Amino acid sequence: MPAIRHASKRKPPPDGFSDIEEDLLIFSNKMKDAQNTPTDNIPKHQAQWPIFQIAHQRSRYVYELYYEKEAISKQLYEWLLKNGYADAMLIAKWKKQGYEKLCCLRCIQTKETNFNSTCICRVPRAQLKEDQEVQCVSCGCRGCASTD
Amino acid sequence: MTYQPSPSALPPLPAGWTEHKAPTGHTYYYNAETKVSTYRRPGVAPFAPVAPVAPAAPAVVPAPASAPVAAPMNPAMSSFVQHQMVPQINLSDPAVANAFMAQYAQTQQPQQGQRGGFGAGGRGGMQSRPRPQPVDKPRSKVAIPGCEPWILVYTKYGRRFVYNPVKNASYWRIPEKLMPAILELDQARIRQKAEGKTTEQEQEQQAQQNEGTTDAEKASSTPATEGQQAEAQHDYDSSEYEEVEVTDDEGAEDGDQDAEGSSRKRQRTEEPTANDAHAEFTEADIAAQLAAMGAEYGDDAEMGEDWEEGDEGLPLSESDARELFKDLLNDFNINPYSPWDKLMEEGKIFDDARYTVLPTTKARKEVWEEWSRAKIQELKERRAKEEKKDPRIPYLAFLQAKATPKLYWPEFRRKYKKEEPMKDPKLSDKDREKYYREHINRLKLPQATLKADLKKLLASVPPSQLNNQTPASHLPPQVLCDIRYISLDPQVRDPFIEAYIQGLGPPPEAGEVAAEAEGEEEKKAREERRKREKVLQERERAVAEEKRRQEKRLQYERARLREKERELVRAMHVGKKGLVSQLAGGTQTQVEGGGDKAESS
Repeated sequence: MPAIRHASKRKPPPDGFSDIEEDLLIFSNKMKDAQNTPTDNIPKHQAQWPIFQIAHQRSRYVYELYYEKEAISKQLYEWLLKNGYADAMLIAKWKKQGYEKLCCLRCIQTKETNFNSTCICRVPRAQLKEDQEVQCVSCGCRGCASTD
Repeated sequence: MTYQPSPSALPPLPAGWTEHKAPTGHTYYYNAETKVSTYRRPGVAPFAPVAPVAPAAPAVVPAPASAPVAAPMNPAMSSFVQHQMVPQINLSDPAVANAFMAQYAQTQQPQQGQRGGFGAGGRGGMQSRPRPQPVDKPRSKVAIPGCEPWILVYTKYGRRFVYNPVKNASYWRIPEKLMPAILELDQARIRQKAEGKTTEQEQEQQAQQNEGTTDAEKASSTPATEGQQAEAQHDYDSSEYEEVEVTDDEGAEDGDQDAEGSSRKRQRTEEPTANDAHAEFTEADIAAQLAAMGAEYGDDAEMGEDWEEGDEGLPLSESDARELFKDLLNDFNINPYSPWDKLMEEGKIFDDARYTVLPTTKARKEVWEEWSRAKIQELKERRAKEEKKDPRIPYLAFLQAKATPKLYWPEFRRKYKKEEPMKDPKLSDKDREKYYREHINRLKLPQATLKADLKKLLASVPPSQLNNQTPASHLPPQVLCDIRYISLDPQVRDPFIEAYIQGLGPPPEAGEVAAEAEGEEEKKAREERRKREKVLQERERAVAEEKRRQEKRLQYERARLREKERELVRAMHVGKKGLVSQLAGGTQTQVEGGGDKAESS
């Protein structure tokens, strides 16, 4: 296991981190809150929904800053990925056609489902029944098909 | 919202009454037979006899100085006194109302503990509720046609009052002389609402129609409203006198139902609409309320000072709307790096009128995206232009201000860990410690040494950077980030440096400076060039040697080849002749040999 270094002895983050530090702090506080809320009286499968959602939001934030707004440098982006501010695997999916809005990686994992298919949230609205409200089991997504 | 005593403590409702929840969360009671609805729980006899109140003319009634006894002996008694007090004061006068509120609040406080769970018709419980202090603001105003100086002002929370800018007087209760005009206004608005979009022409027509027909309408409507008003007064008088939750729109419902006249300036201290008043929800009332709310939503877009009914729809062009929204984002100092969700969660910009210039949230998001992208780009460019500041300069300045020999480094660090220079990631903690220790050590040195050191430092700076035209506030960074610069106390140091600068020569001429700079650069370049050439020569020599060696080998090879060729040729040449000669020789030898053999055999 690598030695855990004190913050003052660590290498400073790349330039531009101070711009987004505040927002990342908000995200991490939200995440801590979500982790610490008791899950006594909610269904078991829903216990992790907020965690998935916040992780998604944060990854999306970093992704948009780098790929869409081009607001952060490559070094900073890589540093963020390395330090767990965003999910690199999820971002890798977003770059593929058809997966632009993917909610979480578990929803495209076909191997652990009953019918060896993706999650219901991946089904386009147009193919669902009229007014069918779906919310997926793994992360509470209400639909993340690219056509929606 | 409102505190309700537990239902078990309440007396049962009389026959015919049913309990309901209003959309605002209040519980109200409705009698299906008499078609009366009320907030007050029926079945309890109302308290004190009601004294009539003059609505329009706010007469000054002497403030009840002695009436609510300052330190009541008997809580029941005091409450009785209060309930008796409430109706007898004319609260339409702001001064009186204020005095009353002060008194009332005073006597109210000590009681709260004592009368915890009494059930006087569900009224007592309201008193112990913590009073919210809603902040209401005037939002839009409408001139009242026919009563010229008077204007009708709508507040943020949908209530309204009349205001006379000439006399500088405002009343929550609408004076009777304005009543018909305001009724007219309301009716016009309801009609407008019903018709949907009305062009200005139509409105004008309406206005004319109103002129014509209002007499009849007035005749029919005024008695009803007067009746309501009387009722409202009655209820207000007998009911608990208390502030309203801001979400309660009852006050705005109709001018004749918010039952108070009070100064506009004192809105915060008194929010005296009759909360428990009899609310008669007739259809017309609801329609009027809806219309009022609708009108307010319309107002959001303009908010103009001289807003008038009729000029609602000045359509903004697409690009103007976008620019307006961008201005809004700029004005609120929105961080362009922040996500859109954060902007929506905070909701700071919702209250601004410019928020509504774009019709949909999608359009807003689009504009926000464009804006943030441009803004980030701009920030980047600005930052690139800014010179990079040495992180040591602020830290050393901080050291000079804060460092004392009394603190060891860990103590110092702990004490000031929240300070900006102590957190700067560009400077490592090790360096910080080094500078601190050095600085503390130097503080112990005699002044003369420090001065000499500073002089040495200043002398080391080239005259192009430090000369008699350098302002003392703009010393070169070379000086500023040296530990010797901060060792002296600024009170001693600054005059010293100034004197030193005075004694310096003028800055070298531009050309000279350039030459000097160039010379230095050139020297460097030349040196480098020489180095490069040297390397090149060496390489060339190596290459030449290699070439020579190769050539040698080539020649050698060629020579060998030629040799072989010659040998071959010789061999070829030797060929037949040789064979012949060989043969000849062979035969000779054979002969000889044969002869030999023969001889031998």
